[in-house]
Amino acid sequence: MSALAVVVAMALSALLIATTGGSPLDSLNAIIQGSVGSPAAWTTTLLNATPLLVVAAGACISSRSGIFNIGQEGQVLIGAMAATAVSLRLALVGPALLVLGMFAAAVAGGVWASLSAVMHRLRGVNIVVSTLLMTFVAQQLISYAVNTPWLLQATRIGSTAPPPESNQIPVGAQLGSIGHYPQLQLNLGLFLALVLTVVVAVAMARTRWGFELKMMGLNPLTAQHAGVRVSRLGAVALGLSGAFAGIAGAVLIASPVGNFRLQPGVSSNFGWDGLLVALVARNRPIVAVPFAVLFGILRSGGNFVAATGVPSFLVDVVKGLLVLAFVAPPALADMLQRRAATAKAARSASTRSADLEGVAA
Amino acid sequence: MDPAGGAASALQLLGITKSYGSVVACDAVDLAINKGEIHGLLGENGAGKSTLMKILLGLVHRDAGSIVYGGKPVEINTPQVAAALGLGMVHQHFSLIEPLRVWENVILGDVGRIDRLAACRQVEEVGLRYGLPINPMARVEQLSAGERQRVELIKCLRRDPAVLILDEPTSVLTQAESAELFSVLRRVVQEENRAVILISHKLAEITAATDRVTVLSKGRVVFQSATGDTTATELARQMVGREVSLRAEAAALGVLPVEQYRVELASAEQVESASPDRPAALRLRELEVDVGGVAVVKRLSLDVRAGEIVGLYGVEGNGQSTLGDVLSGLVQPTSGSIELGGVPVELNRPGALQRAGLGIVPEDRHRCGVVLDMSVAENLSLKALGDIGGRHLLSRRKMHAVARRLVAEFNIVAPSLDAPVRSVSGGNQQRLVVARELSANPTVLVAAQPTRGLDVAAIEDMYLRLREAASSGVAVLLISTELEEVMELCSRVAVISSGRITGVLSIVEATAERLGMLVGGMAA
Repeated sequence: MSALAVVVAMALSALLIATTGGSPLDSLNAIIQGSVGSPAAWTTTLLNATPLLVVAAGACISSRSGIFNIGQEGQVLIGAMAATAVSLRLALVGPALLVLGMFAAAVAGGVWASLSAVMHRLRGVNIVVSTLLMTFVAQQLISYAVNTPWLLQATRIGSTAPPPESNQIPVGAQLGSIGHYPQLQLNLGLFLALVLTVVVAVAMARTRWGFELKMMGLNPLTAQHAGVRVSRLGAVALGLSGAFAGIAGAVLIASPVGNFRLQPGVSSNFGWDGLLVALVARNRPIVAVPFAVLFGILRSGGNFVAATGVPSFLVDVVKGLLVLAFVAPPALADMLQRRAATAKAARSASTRSADLEGVAA
Repeated sequence: MDPAGGAASALQLLGITKSYGSVVACDAVDLAINKGEIHGLLGENGAGKSTLMKILLGLVHRDAGSIVYGGKPVEINTPQVAAALGLGMVHQHFSLIEPLRVWENVILGDVGRIDRLAACRQVEEVGLRYGLPINPMARVEQLSAGERQRVELIKCLRRDPAVLILDEPTSVLTQAESAELFSVLRRVVQEENRAVILISHKLAEITAATDRVTVLSKGRVVFQSATGDTTATELARQMVGREVSLRAEAAALGVLPVEQYRVELASAEQVESASPDRPAALRLRELEVDVGGVAVVKRLSLDVRAGEIVGLYGVEGNGQSTLGDVLSGLVQPTSGSIELGGVPVELNRPGALQRAGLGIVPEDRHRCGVVLDMSVAENLSLKALGDIGGRHLLSRRKMHAVARRLVAEFNIVAPSLDAPVRSVSGGNQQRLVVARELSANPTVLVAAQPTRGLDVAAIEDMYLRLREAASSGVAVLLISTELEEVMELCSRVAVISSGRITGVLSIVEATAERLGMLVGGMAA
């Protein structure tokens, strides 16, 4: 069913491109050439896939516990800001600076997400809503930071006002490439992302913590009954997903995708898209890897579509259609199955004793 | 039985029969309601009261019988027809929308233009006429239970119903609020010549507030009288009588399976051998629980000793579910304590009851007993993760080994150990819960409505497990609304009514009369 849905999505995309005056084949070609057509294209694709994967791995954690964090975009920004601040302000040697930057980003992103947990605990504020709204607060905060000289705004050179962005972080704080291949660069960040993903996957599948997380997500009352501190575990899951988004922000800043500097638009929808990757992968971290690459392909190839005369925002539409194609069929199947199960239960219930009648009374 | 001399009959039910599959909920019920009277309808859970009223309201279709209203036979196929005829009902569970205001709730379901002023005026008028003062602009969520009841009544009364039906109207009300409600009802029947049907299981209420009373049991009318001509004792006997005598008959005729009988004898010996000086295995002390500001469990104390099965019997909705939630660790009591083996349990620590040796088969297993979308093996292990791994890591191999053992030992039928519990039948889900709880070697086992919704084989199985547990020295607390179940399994019965234990009887003392009085909230 999924395969069929993807075909339909592709057909719709082709139709859309054709109606806007472009050639679907040329566009497809451009996407492929621009994303996987050459080692250089692969480099861009993987650079784009890296932060997506980190965000997705974190989103898997919170969603598995039944808590829906949708504020990754803001948490990415906060992480990026923390990493930038550490990299620019502390005078440390290379690797230490990098590690400390990552660590600061994780803490900052985690704390930012935990604010939503605190609001939920104290005032019952809905977590979906608060994580979303905190994204806008984060955007304003970054904007303020890069427009304020004593915070993170670039150093004034001569008499011209500096642009609203930070200085470039020192080379020591940047993520380098691993190995030497002609044209192809494998960024250290990619390996970090893969390691984090595997860690999350193992933790969820093989540990007591992962078991409790899953139990809580599927039936919080039973989890509580079985001795799980549900509210604490939920807060931890939310905080962790924020920390992962924060790390993704640090990876962005420290790799060429983010131009090594903090800009208001540096998160550039990596948070949202990462969330979509987790959604499409249905909260399975390992499955998120190929989808992160697919979204990376759409990102890197999308830039080349414009050259064929098709507006590049159409790539976003294609992305949306693909997400629907992957998410809708399982959700639909699930719904139908549940409906059938309920109907069956109702039938058997009607033949059940008058005890039911007592329950209804 | 003829309606008391001359009074005009508002409503007559003749030979109403309704069955669900093989279960007869209403068996040729005859009932006549007169104008200007409050008619009490008394009966236990499953006696057929609610089905009868649903038929009257067009929510359920009868299999046989006829309804005569105002002298003419009528067909009530839909709730709209019932409303048009002037039949109004206040349900036990309020059907109000909490964030909305009083007047909005009152006009809910009307069609046409919304006129707030007119609606508010009407609420005030009806309120004044019947002595139900309420602010039409108040939000329902800010009202007390008694005030919500008023809103429900106004909702009903503003349509000028000829027959007003109230289902357990006082279950959430305080004493004073109940008294007030009955004086309002009295006004409704005396001044306006309406008829009121009051459904209740509280004897005091029935004897104090009604003019005539009908007792239903197992879908049949077993007793009918003017309230003044009968006594609470008589009503109590009528309400539960049949079931108790049934048990006695069965024993006399030797209908009880021999094997079961032996186990029962064994457990009876066990009880005697249990020394009364030893601290009770489970001791509930002065438990008080509030739910949403309403005291649901009130100063509840109960002891269960090792090796005995104690029944907690009562009509649905008297605090049993909340007590179950407390024993499941889902709800914290406002005061009081739970002791296991003489040691108080720190209830604010998650899983403390379970660590102290309490196993529980919860009332609603889907709600808090199993995780439907996790596998059979996972569900069997979820309360004892320490047994299938270390502090952090879990071993799938060990989990499967545990599951294989329990599935075999407790005859759980499942497609595979990795199949989701959702795909397993209700009886097997219940076996799974029992297997998990008993495999932890508890000293106390609480079984809340353990046979609800199970088929006969599964019920037999459950009884056997509970008896075996008791004879191996486990203290068993059986929370049940089924008298037969309690009489068959228990050596002592505690009766709960309105969140209180109204009395504890040994099974030989438990006569129909005394149980009925206790269930009805009176001392026996």
